[in-house]
Amino acid sequence: MNFDYIDVIQTLIDGILFGSIYALIGLGFTLIFGAMHKLNLAYASSGIAGAYMGLMSLTIVGVPVLMVFIIGPIVAGLISLILYFACFRFMPRGNHLAPLMASIGALFFIDELIIHATAGSPLSFPAILQDSYFIVGEFGIRGDLLMIMGFSLILMVVVMQLLYRTKLGLATRATSQQPVAALLCGIPTHKTNATTFCLAGILGGFAGCLLAASVGILSPLIILPLTIKGLIVTVIGGLGSIRGAIIAGFAVGAAEGIFLLVRGVNERDIYVYLLLFFFLVFRPNGLFGSTINRD
Amino acid sequence: MTYFLGILQTIGVHTLLGLSAYLLLLTGQLSLAQAGFFAIGAYVSGILTVIFGLHIFPALAIGAFIAGFFAFLVGFPALRVKGLMLVVATIAFSEIVRLFFFNLSWRVIINGIEVGPDSTQGFREIRYFAANGWEQVDIVGLIWFLVIAVMLVLWWLDQVRAGAVLRAVGADELAAQSSGINLTRVKIAAMTGGGVIAGIGGGLFAHSTTYIDHHTFVVLLATFAVSYPILGGLRSVVGTLLAVIFIQGFIIEGLRFIGDYRYLIFGLLIVLVMNLRPHGIIDGHFLDDIKKLLGRKTMRGKVDD
Repeated sequence: MNFDYIDVIQTLIDGILFGSIYALIGLGFTLIFGAMHKLNLAYASSGIAGAYMGLMSLTIVGVPVLMVFIIGPIVAGLISLILYFACFRFMPRGNHLAPLMASIGALFFIDELIIHATAGSPLSFPAILQDSYFIVGEFGIRGDLLMIMGFSLILMVVVMQLLYRTKLGLATRATSQQPVAALLCGIPTHKTNATTFCLAGILGGFAGCLLAASVGILSPLIILPLTIKGLIVTVIGGLGSIRGAIIAGFAVGAAEGIFLLVRGVNERDIYVYLLLFFFLVFRPNGLFGSTINRD
Repeated sequence: MTYFLGILQTIGVHTLLGLSAYLLLLTGQLSLAQAGFFAIGAYVSGILTVIFGLHIFPALAIGAFIAGFFAFLVGFPALRVKGLMLVVATIAFSEIVRLFFFNLSWRVIINGIEVGPDSTQGFREIRYFAANGWEQVDIVGLIWFLVIAVMLVLWWLDQVRAGAVLRAVGADELAAQSSGINLTRVKIAAMTGGGVIAGIGGGLFAHSTTYIDHHTFVVLLATFAVSYPILGGLRSVVGTLLAVIFIQGFIIEGLRFIGDYRYLIFGLLIVLVMNLRPHGIIDGHFLDDIKKLLGRKTMRGKVDD
């Protein structure tokens, strides 16, 4: 192993910048989990599907490149809304297995749909700020990653404002804490849940578009790793903790960078996934989870 | 004839996979690690017969044992924490196992031929059956003997206290805990048992197809594994078998003419069934409906939750 501290710090910088995508996905999982105490395993796939639709609008209709980053999230939000009605809305409240299983079915449905639509081959995605590169001392910062980071931070602030400053956010938090009590207070819980799904979907769409833009290609192969890493971020951050999900997202990005540097690209994901078991054994409630075991 | 024997092989192996998920689902837990245990069983028993020249039966047994041991290892941290953690842990475990075998290269020269798992190229030379003069009928016989044995064991479990304990945990954790059941122990036992069954299935799969690679053990395989008992209902092991026959026999084999759209149909089918019959197609109501059709007394009210 011959790398010095400059490599390590450079890797950490890239990893943390890239981790903002995981933070966004983790935030979306957390929003959905917070709203219904259920996992939507098809969530990351809806984000990627949104990115595909954005790309389609570019290649088929020929909209300006910037529009891809608007159409993608909107479509992802709609897909997420459809997922809510297909997998969650009409399920019996006490049954945890049925919605989970339905969302797994939806995950593979979207996955297969994308594979069919693109004949299984990856598509090139318009890169943004590809050529910009900032040199800070001995380290370089990729312009596109910096933009992803900035964009994600703006989105996180918007979500936080929505949750803690608006009436909609109040309704969402109330539904999350006590669905029955919220319903009795006149909060339309189903509508609130649908809005949360839509909001999470929009976040996922942004994450999908940003991921594709930074890598330069869009492929159905990224759906499953993105899903698993998003889930790991959610667990490490503490199930249901928004602050935890954001911090854990950056942490997982950094860890991924280090594992890439030390063990290479083929083994990187093994160690990222093992991180989850490390947390399950030593800190099962995550970084910021409540000490009470929540269902 | 070979074609039908081939389908029988697939259905048998997938039934073992489904039964391994069934055992854990009885306790109300959903695991996506079944593909990982299946892969461990397949690779371990394959390595034992190919590299170490073991007989098939000890190889299958050791593969199943190691798969069960890993099931215990995964279940232990994941099941201590309540709720949905198991799904996250098992989906990650499945991918860890797949990526491990994706990277595993262990080539040895045996009788002048280089054999063993060759990372991305897969593990090709699992020719125990052919080398020892087993006909395809014998292989199908062995698979179904083990399938029926496992089904009998699971059926017998339902006749004794253990089955009642498993179902009690699945029906209402709080009530089960109040009556003195150690939830974690029961769940981990079910998880380990499921790992052993999946390991047997994996060993049989490796030896009957003679070639395995990491693509086989993706999360889609784990989804198949849990979808059998969920679609078939948890009323009895027969539901799982029927679901395997329906999905593998009809959707995957019967609809081969529509190509890869079968997997699309599979995803859609799960979403639809979960909405219309959250307890599976063959749930309590289904049996009642059939009894009603036959004009017999129904058991309404005794519905599984």
